[in-house]
Amino acid sequence: MSSNTPYPTIQACKNCGGGAPIDVHFCPQCTKILSVGRHGDFFSFFGLPRRLKVEPADLEQRFRSLSRQFHPDYFYNAEPAERRASLERSSYLNDAYRTLRQPISRIEYLLQLEGLAARGPEEAAKQVPPALLEEVFALNEELDEVRDLRAGGAPAEDWKARLERAREPIEAKRVEHEQQLESLSAQWDALLDAPADDAQRRAVLVALRDRVLERNYINNLLAGIERELTT
Amino acid sequence: MSKVVGIDLGTTNSLVAYVTDGVPVVIRDRNGDALVPSIVSAASDGTVYVGREAQRRLTLEASRTVYSVKRFMGRGFDDVRDEARHFPFRVGGDASGVVRIGLGDREFTAPELSALILRDLKRRAEEFFAAEGDIDPEVDRAVITVPAYFNDAQRTATRDAGRIAGLEVLRIINEPTAASLAYGLDKRHTGLIAVYDLGGGTFDISILRVEDGVFQVLSTNGDTHLGGDDIDLLLLEQVLADLDSDSPAYDWPETAGSANARRTPEAVQAIRQAVIQAKWDLSDREETGLLGKRMTRTELETMIRPIVERTLGPCRQALVDADLQPSQIDEVVLVGGSTRIPLVGRLVAELFGRTPHSELNPDEVVALGAALQADILVTGNREMLLLDVTPLSLGIETMGGVVSKIILRNSTIPATGSEMFTTFADNQTAVDIHVLQGERELVADNRSLARFKLRGIPPMPAGLPRVQVQFQIDANGILSVTARELRTDVEATIEVKPSYGLTDEQVEQMLLDSFENAEADFAARLLIDARNEAETVILATEKSLRSPEFSAVAAGDLQPGEEERIIAALGDLKAVLNDSDREVLQQKTHALNDATRHLAEVMMNRSVQHALSGRNIEDV
Repeated sequence: MSSNTPYPTIQACKNCGGGAPIDVHFCPQCTKILSVGRHGDFFSFFGLPRRLKVEPADLEQRFRSLSRQFHPDYFYNAEPAERRASLERSSYLNDAYRTLRQPISRIEYLLQLEGLAARGPEEAAKQVPPALLEEVFALNEELDEVRDLRAGGAPAEDWKARLERAREPIEAKRVEHEQQLESLSAQWDALLDAPADDAQRRAVLVALRDRVLERNYINNLLAGIERELTT
Repeated sequence: MSKVVGIDLGTTNSLVAYVTDGVPVVIRDRNGDALVPSIVSAASDGTVYVGREAQRRLTLEASRTVYSVKRFMGRGFDDVRDEARHFPFRVGGDASGVVRIGLGDREFTAPELSALILRDLKRRAEEFFAAEGDIDPEVDRAVITVPAYFNDAQRTATRDAGRIAGLEVLRIINEPTAASLAYGLDKRHTGLIAVYDLGGGTFDISILRVEDGVFQVLSTNGDTHLGGDDIDLLLLEQVLADLDSDSPAYDWPETAGSANARRTPEAVQAIRQAVIQAKWDLSDREETGLLGKRMTRTELETMIRPIVERTLGPCRQALVDADLQPSQIDEVVLVGGSTRIPLVGRLVAELFGRTPHSELNPDEVVALGAALQADILVTGNREMLLLDVTPLSLGIETMGGVVSKIILRNSTIPATGSEMFTTFADNQTAVDIHVLQGERELVADNRSLARFKLRGIPPMPAGLPRVQVQFQIDANGILSVTARELRTDVEATIEVKPSYGLTDEQVEQMLLDSFENAEADFAARLLIDARNEAETVILATEKSLRSPEFSAVAAGDLQPGEEERIIAALGDLKAVLNDSDREVLQQKTHALNDATRHLAEVMMNRSVQHALSGRNIEDV
């Protein structure tokens, strides 16, 4: 699979039966709002390329403008089919906006589109990503010792200080991953403009997927430390 | 064309508003009063009273009068068992079922009682439109507001109430968002707004971005059991605690003359009213009397501070969810009667670091916004658009009693989510699904919304069916569910058992019942009109008697015994004012009218002469 994953390019208007390009929202023939049957993806819905860099102000402006076109408030007196289409299209728009607003969910969505969906969060959490083995091993040792300390009645400041220290390398990893995700995203965007090189694109996507999985794992570790600290 | 209104169905007061020439206006009664107390009372003859009349009966027949019904909307008896003891009316129901409230000899659900209030508002609006000379004054459609933090069951209960009242509910909208719409009218502002809404029984905070006429809610939070009611209750309990010590510090109300009498529901209500009055007084003054005892604002603030501080946590959470610092908020707007308490304004100003707005009447602004939204829906006016969010995450029960979230809180609505289900046994044709709302991990810590049974799955080996269940939250914030087996493309049917709601059949039945009762309501209406008439005559008479000119009139113009006859007729009418016999009331009103006719003429002549002589002097 490549970034050129084929997707339907035409949809049918349920009202007049006419054909319409996949990413228009209103039928070019009868002007009625189109129901969300066959559609492109969240990027194309907004009229955006599959780029990972999205200007928040631009996305918001598009969101508001599309909301003004589809919102059920403006179809209250319309035919039932149009009302349904407005509800569907608004719901889809809101899903799309929520997904593309955050960099991480944007990457995860792109991976899914490109056929590289990260496995479910439960599965991802079970397996330690190879790149993190060293840190996880050290952390688990530290956590065991802290639990022993607590069981032995050590003062809170002592074990809390150790936990804080144990957190530092993990936190550093997190920052490192944020940076890597950013630079990989920039690479993806650059390749999108360059003449197609599927192998290169694929390599960037795989790297993105691995970093996302590791990042999720790191966040789970940090949340675990936080829980230890607050209980 | 029939009329469309916006309704603020409040815990303490309710209002109705409409839009004329693009401007929202609150509908008032002939005394200029916009607020209809959200109180319902049933006389022993079955007559039902709503509003001021019901409020008056609170201290006469407390056990036949219900208030704060909104607290019971969409709730189960288990939820309210604790607070139920604070109310003078019966609160009951099945352990895990919908709450039933005793009113006189009957039991009502909260939506039915709310429907009585809604019908009163509907009637008030219809009378207003008729008086305006409208050809079709009927009000049949409304936008009704709810606290932003209301869950699905509470929203559905509100919509049911509207239906029972004979209204097509165009839309359920959130109170803080409605308020922002009303504020947005005045100033074409752009920026980040926090709406802090502390009402009689509920608290909401909503953070919005306003741009290009789009009012987009970024996050919302709140507490559907936090408001002025809690402050009243705290003060009331303080006073009642002093009762037992027979504290001489208070002048107890008449009905509470002796220590024993002070515990009657009527006496407790009289004390509650006194407490509320003291709370109001202290919003404008530094000091007041509570049943004859001195109370300062500082004392009040010390007592209620913990309650007000409970609003700050949700404010901070809403800011975090919107990914904002308090200093980034451009404007803070105060909504709800309880924001008149100076301490509330101070704590809000402290949190956001800026003085909050309160230019619009905090009691009326929500109804104004509801009217604007109704206008948008009916006219297709596209100047403004509200984009609201769902306040609570929606999830389903999975293995081990854990909730799997499908639609996250603060998602813009309408929103969808879907989940795939399969079967565990061969040829299984039905699957149970438990839908919940809330943020917690475990099923037991969240709000159960409904249990669905998916039927009609084609028989297949275990694990083979792929049933896609689609959850749709509409623009009202209300959930609907559809399901389809993807392998066979068969629509699965869904049987809904709302956990704390009414089935469609029940709502239909209640609608029928309410029509059957329409005649009784009509009688109640006539009685209220008669009573208003009586009050007008009483007030006019008392005014004449107190007039500085009266003694001169009595000496010079009245016949012997005339004054005594007037005073006697006045006393007669006052004695029957609160009775429910309309005939007698009208008879006594006419009697007083007759007795004062001569006096009125004399007074009138004197004032005319006065005016004429005034003109003469000017003319000279």
